[in-house]
Amino acid sequence: MTVRRALTILMVLGLWEAVRRFDLVRPLLLASPTEIASALVKSWLDYVIALRLTAIEIAIALACAWTLGIAAGTIAGLRPFLSATAGPLLSSLFAIPLISWYPLFMVWFGIGITSKIAYAIVSGFLPIAINTMNGIRTVDDQYLLLGKAIGCSRRQIIFRILLPMAMPSIVSGLRIGTALVVIGVIVAEMLSSLGGIGYLISYYRSIYATEHVYLGILLALGCAFAANWGLGFVERRFTHWRVLQIEER
Amino acid sequence: MTAGRPLVIETRGLRKVYGIGRAPLVALQDISFAVEEGSFVSLVGPSGCGKSTLLQMLAGLVPSTAGEVLVDGVAVHQPAPEKISVMFQDATLLPWKRVAENVEFPLEVRGMKVAERRKRAAAMLSLVGLADFAQRYPHELSGGMRQRVSIARALAPDPRIMLMDEPFGALDEQTRIKMGHELLRIWEKTGKTIFFITHSLTEALFLADTVLVMSHRPGQIVGTIKVDLPRPRTYEIIGSAEFGAMRNRIWKLISQDDREVIGEGMAGL
Repeated sequence: MTVRRALTILMVLGLWEAVRRFDLVRPLLLASPTEIASALVKSWLDYVIALRLTAIEIAIALACAWTLGIAAGTIAGLRPFLSATAGPLLSSLFAIPLISWYPLFMVWFGIGITSKIAYAIVSGFLPIAINTMNGIRTVDDQYLLLGKAIGCSRRQIIFRILLPMAMPSIVSGLRIGTALVVIGVIVAEMLSSLGGIGYLISYYRSIYATEHVYLGILLALGCAFAANWGLGFVERRFTHWRVLQIEER
Repeated sequence: MTAGRPLVIETRGLRKVYGIGRAPLVALQDISFAVEEGSFVSLVGPSGCGKSTLLQMLAGLVPSTAGEVLVDGVAVHQPAPEKISVMFQDATLLPWKRVAENVEFPLEVRGMKVAERRKRAAAMLSLVGLADFAQRYPHELSGGMRQRVSIARALAPDPRIMLMDEPFGALDEQTRIKMGHELLRIWEKTGKTIFFITHSLTEALFLADTVLVMSHRPGQIVGTIKVDLPRPRTYEIIGSAEFGAMRNRIWKLISQDDREVIGEGMAGL
């Protein structure tokens, strides 16, 4: 399996390189793998600095979006009135492209790291909160009664019964939210910023350095992979029973 | 059954009204009955007659609008897990916990030491015949086995009363009959007081010392049937003339009530 996968990747890379070598596509549109690699070798320090900044921004934004999303979703899920009113309101608020809010974020937080993080948190927050809320609300009432009947405190009912029951739903919210946080950071960097992978993509695009644009995109992809890997860790830790359940069927 | 045993549950003029203002719904009206220590009481009635609400009021999970519930002569206002265990139609096991951990859960919640609760859970699991499944996950068990785990969990805190809300309602008939036998065996062994809700007349009669018959709209007790069938009971008893006569009496009580409701509805047209 791994061998076949490696072969596929090699073939794609080879084809990609060939397309450029035989000049089938103009260099402005496509850079070959070797061109991208040499771009990295030439300005590796820029990329290390940019990657570090982007990684820090993503890490902070993820931590905040996860925590706030799960907390808000739990609170809303426990209060039928709140979830009935806040849910549709938030959803309709986000029906317009979130990016149109970005100018306001710049006014509020400046063009530094804060506005990028704030924007990424807001993009990732909603799916996490809504999935958590729905996960909590769809737990069968019998579990609530059970918790009360065996003498659980409110805190125990939330942390020992409701949240674990809602975990599959929460994790699918985290998956969407995590992707949106990574996108949010890169997009914010591209729009207005003086650092980060998104900034480099945007800068090199303006000077037509296509191989650098591709390199930036690859690194952004790497960030998304890293965030997903962290998520997979959480998923295995908290929903292993769910996986067992599905395998059983 | 035997006169003179102390009353462990007593309700006096229980009433439950949902909604306030112009269209209040009277769910339960003037529910008064008593349950003797160590007896097995079934409650039958049509679906939606408020059986579950009544059980939740006995458990202290739902407040009554009027009247009171006494357990051991003390008014119940909130759950009393050390005295009363509750079982539901679904086994409500926590899917991420192993069978033994599920049985331990009510003990864990109240802070019992690990060694002690392990021992207690193991004992309860062997009582329900699932000692070999202690380390399995709930999804690896059949529906009947899951309900047996639920019984073990309900027994673990050593309560005096078990309130069971249609616990076998979701099982197929054969499993259901087996579970009935199993429950009687456990009841005879532990001497708990059991209050058992069902909509199956046969199940109610087969299990209980006393069957309370409930009607709906508003839910009220329309009859109390003493079941003087010998114990231990076997499946054959269901075919006896005595059993049939009692089942007919219950059916009459329930269907009479239906006729009244239809009659009222027609008068309204």
